[in-house]
Amino acid sequence: MEKLLEVKNLEVSFQTYGGTVKAVRGVSFDLHKGETLAIVGESGSGKSVTSQSIMKLIPMPPGRISGGQILLNGDDIVPKTEKQMEKIRGKEISMIFQDPMTSLNPTMRVGNQIMEVLIKHQNMTKTDGKNRAVELLRLVGIPMPEKRVNQYPHEFSGGMRQRAMIAIALAANPKLLIADEPTTALDVTIQAQILELMKDLQNKMDTSIIFITHDLGVVANVADRVAVMYAGQIVEMGTVDEIFYDPRHPYTWGLLASMPSLENDDKAELAAIPGTPPDLTNPPKGDAFAARNQYALAIDFEEEPPMFQISETHFAKTWLLHPDAPKVEPPEAVKRRMRQLSSTFENPVLVKEGK
Amino acid sequence: MAEKLLQIKNLKQHFNVGRPNMVKAVDGITFDIYKGETLGLVGESGCGKSTTGRTIIRLYDATDGQVLFEGEDVHGKKSAKELKKFNRKMQMIFQDPYASLNPRMTVADIIAEGIDIHGLAKSKKERMERVYELLETVGLNKEHANRYPHEFSGGQRQRIGIARALAVDPDFIIADEPISALDVSIQAQVVNLMKKLQREKGLTYLFIAHDLSMVKYISDRIGVMYFGKLVELAPAEDLYANPMHPYTQSLLSAIPLPDPETERSRRRKSYDTAVHNYAENEKLEMREITPGHFVYCSEKEYNELKAQYAK
Repeated sequence: MEKLLEVKNLEVSFQTYGGTVKAVRGVSFDLHKGETLAIVGESGSGKSVTSQSIMKLIPMPPGRISGGQILLNGDDIVPKTEKQMEKIRGKEISMIFQDPMTSLNPTMRVGNQIMEVLIKHQNMTKTDGKNRAVELLRLVGIPMPEKRVNQYPHEFSGGMRQRAMIAIALAANPKLLIADEPTTALDVTIQAQILELMKDLQNKMDTSIIFITHDLGVVANVADRVAVMYAGQIVEMGTVDEIFYDPRHPYTWGLLASMPSLENDDKAELAAIPGTPPDLTNPPKGDAFAARNQYALAIDFEEEPPMFQISETHFAKTWLLHPDAPKVEPPEAVKRRMRQLSSTFENPVLVKEGK
Repeated sequence: MAEKLLQIKNLKQHFNVGRPNMVKAVDGITFDIYKGETLGLVGESGCGKSTTGRTIIRLYDATDGQVLFEGEDVHGKKSAKELKKFNRKMQMIFQDPYASLNPRMTVADIIAEGIDIHGLAKSKKERMERVYELLETVGLNKEHANRYPHEFSGGQRQRIGIARALAVDPDFIIADEPISALDVSIQAQVVNLMKKLQREKGLTYLFIAHDLSMVKYISDRIGVMYFGKLVELAPAEDLYANPMHPYTQSLLSAIPLPDPETERSRRRKSYDTAVHNYAENEKLEMREITPGHFVYCSEKEYNELKAQYAK
């Protein structure tokens, strides 16, 4: 499959009064055409900063991309100027934000906000733009689009505003859509509709999607591949089946075990991950997760673990996969979901650098 | 079952009464809460679940209906002394741990506010001892007492909110979306803490949330709300195994589960009020289909459901 986006060793830091916060510390991944990659992690894990860097939306200063490359169709966008970025944003890459209440302009009619993109990137006339806006609103499932196109955002409900945002994001047929927690502010029934809509539109337009969320249920629903982030790094990455049925990193175990499941009626205590994420002004020595990790080895406090490869598509950054590491049993809740996947290598392979 | 701690009878909460924009946020709901249980209340935003919680604790004055706490009405005219008595027994944990703590008060003062108001400590020393004890109960430590809320993370602030609610030794706690604003790994910590406290102190909870998997985990019984009405009330397991009201079925079918295989094959149901096809004069009320399982339905639907589910 064709690669649309390659992120190589991305590092982003923020200058604050308390010192330099290293929000993203060496993130590498790639994204194929028509694929959905989900990035999961807690707040502060760097998932939003990573995605905003791809659109170069982080405020600079205080933010700074201090290293790495972001290749869109083989073209590095890190050194691009603001002017050049304007041609990419909305046209090549567009974004759906978490909060539909604050990310639409309250003083502009919804139709005009959609037309803005069309007039800028596709040189449409106002009349053509308006017709296309009505079409787009119909496409995202808004009833009576001819009337709605002239309304203001406050006349829309939460779910409708999110639909309008999707219409704006898709107006110029972008190749890459970044969705930053697009359904977090919505109710489950509306969330289900929006997810269906996004999948449907992806099939029609062959867009690639980066989906940022902390809800593992949503991940299971939309993702082809999953990257789990912790403290500014990707700690585990694999296909959705590999992450849910054969997780290898203790942090992924922790996330899966801390969710109660609907099916089993067992009322035992939830396996919470103790403590809180580390302060990234001074990232801890060794593995950033070591202090909260019940499986931590002595080496975790000394040296940062390298990436190990478990299958063609599955990577995890933990010393537990080292041949000399002791065998550990994942928590009960995770063991129940484990199954043998055919594509797994016999032994994990150490990844030299990059991949 | 155990004795009833709280009886809610035909509770109504309408806003802007008499004006054209009147909102019937809670429109005649009736249920009981038993001593020592956790009742979960779920529904979409705007269905009136938070309003129900706030009306029960008298943050709003009810438009109609009764809330009986141990047989006494919470609403209606009360002297300051009587009000204080209720306020000691009922406490609330709020959704937003950032907005619900006064940023200009130290943690010790936030927690001890209730102790001061109710005169529960005889001396300064006793007051501080009580604060330290509470901090320890919720998994924080003594040194935290003199800090300010901004020095804490979301999960820690929610613990402070819980300590504040516990300060006056309540019997009943209303938790209004206590974990929605927290990260997944922290949610489990707070839920575990709430369960532990319930075991140790015999507390009764009304747990309001929209995260159905967490609600099922923590609750003994669950009520589902839709547009100001309670549409289904059943023991937690029963509700998930046999959802009877079409709205509950639609709600359950919409929750994404962390399992890719079930997600690929799932079918979502949507709810349309037209399925009921109620005639104008049909009487709608909560009817018991199987023991403990109530559904808001008409006589005709009741007979159908009864035939379908009763063994």
